Amino acid sequence: MQGASGLPARLPGECGLQIVSGGATDVGMVRTNNEDCFRIVPSLRLFVVSDGMGGEAHGEVASALAVETVVKHCLEGTENPAAPLLGESKPGLAPRSCRLMSALYLANQRVFQSAAEHTEQRGMGATLTAAWIDELTLSIGHVGDSRVYLLRTGVLQQLTSDHSLVAEQVRRGILTASEAESSTMQNVLLRALGTQPEVEIDMEQVGLFPNDVLLLCSDGLTRMATEPEIAGALQSEPDPQKAAEKLIRLANEGGGVDNITAVVVALKPEPKGWFSWLRRGAHKSAGENGSPGGH
Amino acid sequence: MAKLSLMFENKLVKEVPIGSRPVRIGRSPDNDLVVDNLAVSNDHARVYFDSGRLVVEDRGSLNGTFVNDLRVERATLHDGDSIWVGKHHIKVDAIGDAPLPYQSARKTAAPMINETMVLDTKVRREMLQQAAAMGERTQFAADRIKVPTIVVLSGKTDHKEYILTNKLTTIGRSAMATIKLRGWFKPEMAAQINQRDDGYYVGSGSKIPAVNGAPIPGPTKLRDGDLIEVAGIRLNFIVRE
Repeated sequence: MQGASGLPARLPGECGLQIVSGGATDVGMVRTNNEDCFRIVPSLRLFVVSDGMGGEAHGEVASALAVETVVKHCLEGTENPAAPLLGESKPGLAPRSCRLMSALYLANQRVFQSAAEHTEQRGMGATLTAAWIDELTLSIGHVGDSRVYLLRTGVLQQLTSDHSLVAEQVRRGILTASEAESSTMQNVLLRALGTQPEVEIDMEQVGLFPNDVLLLCSDGLTRMATEPEIAGALQSEPDPQKAAEKLIRLANEGGGVDNITAVVVALKPEPKGWFSWLRRGAHKSAGENGSPGGH
Repeated sequence: MAKLSLMFENKLVKEVPIGSRPVRIGRSPDNDLVVDNLAVSNDHARVYFDSGRLVVEDRGSLNGTFVNDLRVERATLHDGDSIWVGKHHIKVDAIGDAPLPYQSARKTAAPMINETMVLDTKVRREMLQQAAAMGERTQFAADRIKVPTIVVLSGKTDHKEYILTNKLTTIGRSAMATIKLRGWFKPEMAAQINQRDDGYYVGSGSKIPAVNGAPIPGPTKLRDGDLIEVAGIRLNFIVRE
């Protein structure tokens, strides 16, 4: 790509991204049931991860209901952009981001309602982290302590903030990041879907670049594996499905105390039009002069 | 077997047996029962057998030790009593009161609260306020809002100043970049700044940026006033209040 630096800037849409993804979830080494849930919707380029909580099997109910609600609302919104939106719209947000926020508000209502109607489900809730790609813009809707990471040029960057007590204490300068990692209070969340009638949702918009790799995961991965280990696994395994499975193995080898979910999304460049013709031409003639800018 | 069960919001955090040695309770990690909350003193209280009776003794803690709502310096414990330290309570299970021979039950890995739980808004506010009030590293200031800003010192960019509002700020020529570089030979994505819980970190893109003159070895935490140089531009990271 560096050889093409003399070309004019590509506009979004002129060059789409080819998206390859894969996901896996595992009960882990300690627990007997898996309360995590994930969904990949290739037609929408939508990726959702949820980690349920609540005794018995109700964590599973909460995470499955939350994921289903989000996916359905996003599908409906895509078919009919005029479908009603929940929550106040914020200026500067892309239509997809507004739809995604609306989906999370709705999921909160659904899980809360279900818990209110079924006494045995009382106290259930779920984290929810969704990534929706539109051309080169990524919208992230997020509540809880599941995470989205971006691996770009070898640097692993967290695109979500954990809504946990220890993370909040780090943000306020009360704890250091390493103190937070060894705290026994890591399971204490400040926000989740379905535990309150109203919820505050984080919305983040990020511009994407070719060769970016996204990871959505539950805390069962991030507590068992360090960030360098995660980055290493993503870099060494270019196939997203295999990378997700590799991350699950990594967490299980680290103890697997919680359910583990990993969804990996790789964005490959998909050159179109004169740009790709130029590149193909450049490749063909590389043996002669090796300069793509030679025309 | 007599034991103490550390509870938080009615969830079990940890259990310890009461042997012939006192059970030390407090915030610092060398205690037998570590209570991870800033409202709890490092050496907060002890529970031990004294002439066959189970006793709790406050170690001069700042916020006190409570037995069933009563603040105590020293008190005899009975089966079913609750000892309160900070927001945690410790259930006393004194069945089989006789002291056990000393077991090296200490230093078993502290299990985390097994179930994930969500704090309701009231408890959450209280805990954070308390933590703030107790904060020993008191750079904490809730009333001052900090605004991290990038000021362009030299080089062609689309603005002269950028307030960092997103988790990720990219610097480059691309239309997708936050800090857009002008000039055909500038890289699409030169460098990136990631907001983490403990601050802002600058990382490489297709170029390796320098912070205060030194090329960074990996993602580097920015401090107020740091100079970032990348792709021929000079940026100043400033935290405004």
